[in-house]
Amino acid sequence: MNREWDVGRGMRTDRLRALNVPQSVTVQLDGEGIPRRVGDAPVEVVLESWRIDDEWWRLPIVRKYVEVVLEGGGRLVLFEDMKSKQWFAQKP
Amino acid sequence: MPQRPTSSLAACVWIPLFPLRCEEARREGLATHPTALLAPDLSRKLWQVSPLARHAGVRAGMTVSQAIGPCPTLWLCEPDPVHYDERFARLLAALNEISPVIESGELGLAYLGTDGLEGIFGPPEKVVKAIECVVRGAWCVRIGWGRGKFAAWVAASRAKPGEAIIVSPQGEKKFLAAQPIAVLPLDPDTHRRLRQLGIRTLGALAALPEEAVTAQFGAVGRKLWRLAAGHTVEPVVGGVAPEPIVAALTFFTPVGERDLIERALDQLIARTLKDPRRIGWRVQAVRLRAELEGGGDEGGSRGAACCAPTYRSWLADILLKDPTADGARVAAPLRTRLEQAPPAGAVTRLVLELTAFAPGTTELQLFARDAVAAARAGQRRALESAAREILQRVKRTCLYHVIEVQPWSRLPERRYALIDYEP
Repeated sequence: MNREWDVGRGMRTDRLRALNVPQSVTVQLDGEGIPRRVGDAPVEVVLESWRIDDEWWRLPIVRKYVEVVLEGGGRLVLFEDMKSKQWFAQKP
Repeated sequence: MPQRPTSSLAACVWIPLFPLRCEEARREGLATHPTALLAPDLSRKLWQVSPLARHAGVRAGMTVSQAIGPCPTLWLCEPDPVHYDERFARLLAALNEISPVIESGELGLAYLGTDGLEGIFGPPEKVVKAIECVVRGAWCVRIGWGRGKFAAWVAASRAKPGEAIIVSPQGEKKFLAAQPIAVLPLDPDTHRRLRQLGIRTLGALAALPEEAVTAQFGAVGRKLWRLAAGHTVEPVVGGVAPEPIVAALTFFTPVGERDLIERALDQLIARTLKDPRRIGWRVQAVRLRAELEGGGDEGGSRGAACCAPTYRSWLADILLKDPTADGARVAAPLRTRLEQAPPAGAVTRLVLELTAFAPGTTELQLFARDAVAAARAGQRRALESAAREILQRVKRTCLYHVIEVQPWSRLPERRYALIDYEP
């Protein structure tokens, strides 16, 4: 390996820290796959849903977003990672 | 760590009012007018004053309005610290041809170690002649030669412009004894106290018992007494060019946008320039490397339909025409390279390396760094002070800039990012 690359790798590497990183959440679904409970909070209304297909040329990202209103009025955007089938909360 | 070369025999090269002389050298007619240079900060006070202006009653530290009164024809110059930095670097580089042991002081002041040079040039007179040959023409230089930096400095400060004074070891005591105490590194209070005690020359100070001076002025007094008596011989300590200084930034997602790469480049330049090892040195050569997306992939792991080559890295080696400590000047040729021959793929990691250096001065580094920032000094300084305090207390950076990464991205976490804020 080139010496210069060794020098570079030996130094402190700083990363850009992403903002608004998705937070893993537990979501209970009804029979039609619509969120009914996020953690302990019941979902009052499902407002909107949309889907994102991106970065198909790299590692495809497929997400199904759902905007919900929780009991008490809290608004939350959830998405399901269609590859891992995990749910996340994220600010829109 | 490499040992720094030293020399007990010293030559002092001194160009008083160096920044002002730089302005006079590049502006025709300036030398024949009363001139003053403004301070490189927001105070708008006079920093350096030409002899003609001084004769008219203008003094350094005056405000412009105060100076215009006694000297209505005063010419004012805005400071150009980077230019002074570069001119001084060239002077140091020229002196480096005479001796490898060079220690720079403030702008316009440099010491050369002359141990062993008699074998090349001959006696001290010949060494001084060689120095004059190197710096003659461009500057009105005063040169002093003696045992240690102090004797050389006193000799240079007593020399007339364009002349040299050589203080032989045998005549050193007599020479120093006749000098005023102002040649000592005194604070105003100590200077006043010495004068109140009737001590006006180094000889008068050296005639006192060392213990008495130490009892009166403490450790500082002892140091001053030893300098005055010629008992302290401070060697010239040359610099050793630092090893390459490297900084790296890893992107959390491959980046193809030049704006973001350039922003990361600015961050890396700022970080490397702030490295303590760089202080006293200007950057002469710089290397920017980029690891590209897919760089770790083996060609064979790709599908047969993918015929494009697997790009692994991108490299730009830049040799700066004029060594500099100014971040913008380091960045300029790299930005040009990024524009003309951009990386052939998305960048995953950016590495900046300062690979070669030219001598500079501590003072200049401060100027160069502050030159641009001075315009926004007030709030910024307060912020920097607060940031440093936080860093000292919690031992890690807790302040960040929010920067746009891909604000158009459909993935919310790709739009913005935090990057360390380092004052």
